Amino acid sequence: MIVRGRELLRDFEGDADAVVVGTGAGGGMAVRELARAGLKVMALEEGGYHVPSDFTQREEEMIPLLFRERGATMTSDLAIRVLMGRAVGGSTIHNTNLCKRTPPEILDAWARKYDVVGCSEKELAPAFEQVEKDLSVREIPKEQHNANNQILARGMKALGFHGGPLKHNRVGCRESGFCELGCSYDAKQNVTKVLLPEAFAGPGQAVVMSDVRVTRIEHQSGVVSGVSGDATDARGRSIAGVKVRAKVVIVAASAIGTAALALASNLPDPNELAGRGLRLHPGAAIAGFFDERIDGVYGIPQSYECTEFLDFREGSQRRVWITTAFAHPIGAAISLPGFGASHMTLLRNYSRMAVLTAMVHDETEGRVTVDREGAPRIAYEMGEGDRAQLVLGLRGAARILLAAGAREVVLASIPPIRLKSPLDVERITQDAVRPHGLPMISVHPMGTMRFGENPKTSVVKSTGEHHGVRGLFVLDGSLFPTSIGVPPQISIYAMAKHLAKHAIERAR
Amino acid sequence: MGTIGEASNGLSDPRVGRRKWLQSLIIGGVVSALGGGVALVRTGGYDIDAITSARLRMLAPWQYAVVRHVARRMLAADRSEGVPSADDVGVAEFVDGYLVDMRPALRRDLLWFLRFVEQLAPFGSASLHRFTELAPADQDEVLSALEASHIDLLRVGFQALKSLIMMGYYRDPRTFAILGYRGPLLGLPEQGRP
Repeated sequence: MIVRGRELLRDFEGDADAVVVGTGAGGGMAVRELARAGLKVMALEEGGYHVPSDFTQREEEMIPLLFRERGATMTSDLAIRVLMGRAVGGSTIHNTNLCKRTPPEILDAWARKYDVVGCSEKELAPAFEQVEKDLSVREIPKEQHNANNQILARGMKALGFHGGPLKHNRVGCRESGFCELGCSYDAKQNVTKVLLPEAFAGPGQAVVMSDVRVTRIEHQSGVVSGVSGDATDARGRSIAGVKVRAKVVIVAASAIGTAALALASNLPDPNELAGRGLRLHPGAAIAGFFDERIDGVYGIPQSYECTEFLDFREGSQRRVWITTAFAHPIGAAISLPGFGASHMTLLRNYSRMAVLTAMVHDETEGRVTVDREGAPRIAYEMGEGDRAQLVLGLRGAARILLAAGAREVVLASIPPIRLKSPLDVERITQDAVRPHGLPMISVHPMGTMRFGENPKTSVVKSTGEHHGVRGLFVLDGSLFPTSIGVPPQISIYAMAKHLAKHAIERAR
Repeated sequence: MGTIGEASNGLSDPRVGRRKWLQSLIIGGVVSALGGGVALVRTGGYDIDAITSARLRMLAPWQYAVVRHVARRMLAADRSEGVPSADDVGVAEFVDGYLVDMRPALRRDLLWFLRFVEQLAPFGSASLHRFTELAPADQDEVLSALEASHIDLLRVGFQALKSLIMMGYYRDPRTFAILGYRGPLLGLPEQGRP
């Protein structure tokens, strides 16, 4: 059952075996697993509940609706825009459906360096297999690659770069191309379409309440007792108090939101680790202009990848992933450099533009803190090593576009860099990718509540349970001790499924 | 969309320093200007009709005028035919409406930036006139300087304002032809491909 918190007429108090904060990939999976185990579970979601007919394919309407802070969250130095979902279903509502498992090298490193136990490739494999089956994950066939992705494949082939088609969780896709604004055709095999209906089917009892901003995890003497917060109206104003008492609390509110809630709740944290270790998987886009019509805005986005510059072995200096990243009109207008007549002329080539992004498997560690009101602040200053990786990736992407036949490649740095030949790519330098010198974006925040067996180096145990608060679990990307270098959706689903058994055991 | 800054309360927060620095710059600049006999703090004398003023939800009439002038330059057409103007599309009105639900701290910063654009930024182009009083070419010069400023915060402010203005313009179906964009694809049949 879904209850809209914005329709509450008075304060709400309730009891459950477990309460889940956040309903993205981690929270949604936790709700299903606990309900399937016969438990009474209540999930609280800060965002609203939306159905496919709400998704208008209009940027100016969907971005404020589906993203935290109306899509305006930035790092403290204002250098990187951080996009996070804010709706029942979290980021699974507006992601591009990418499904790449956590690389085994990363899982090995977690075991060796961060004392994570029980999460090896072999131990996680059943969870991944089940999640991929549940979400109908499959490789996007060649005939469904849109022109932007075909250009990526063509350029890579010409250069002999490694990569290939990607797997997605979509069924009944009409290839309209508006995944990032919510799917009007309900083709995403996501939390709202797959997991919540299964949770509501029981045998336990599952209730999701939307429009509830949880502000505190209640705990005493090292034992969790529930959460409290506010139901809000459409403009985010508090309209009623909400309290849920439960033996188990599962926090899955994103790497930013989970850490902020932990910090605002004054959880025991003797080593001040909560909020530290933030990875952003930061990226930047580069556009190629072609003579042919591409219409990259339509069709399935991100169906092909370049892994030429991606090596997950420790100490690797190839830590950047390249894929397509076409923007809808407003996004393109914002991203392309300049203004006035020259800007409009550039936009006239929108239908002949192909866009790639380079995303860094980052080693920079940022930190989430909270202000007096409990609102998160994101400190992250990209290190030199990661900037070098971004340069490597953007140069690679530029070469791909040129090899695919682009007559010009444009990087929207200040000043813009325009390239016409592969010999020009050296003009993309670390200075060009300095903070505030190039629009950068993060859509995969991770870390901040890292797991492991050693309380001196981790916030929660390998089971996901907090080292200092019995019954409090973290089941989202906050757990990851490092960047995973790939889109985290399927890893979060699988990790939550894998670890949910510990929460179930505690709630019984 | 870019933003200008966020709420803060700690001395260690770099945003505090930056915002206070910007505010100090604005206040200091205005005070200096007043000392020089130039009434830059004046927020009257704008040619905004009473009906428009009454409809504004967040912007003061002078702020609305600044947005309208900036939008006209940022969306200056590259050709005369088939291109609606920023005024035709109601970009400044859109920005005013969008600010209603913006987080107060962000909104406050954006409004500070508008004040900077109007009253201080022209100094950088050796003008003692307000931005809205400049000729279009001079306004372009001021905006170009902000876009490429060595001061991070000014570039961020420029990008934030550009973001709102572009959103206000390219959301309108009348602008889709500029892009060769066919618009949303709702109601596609099951086997349909665009």
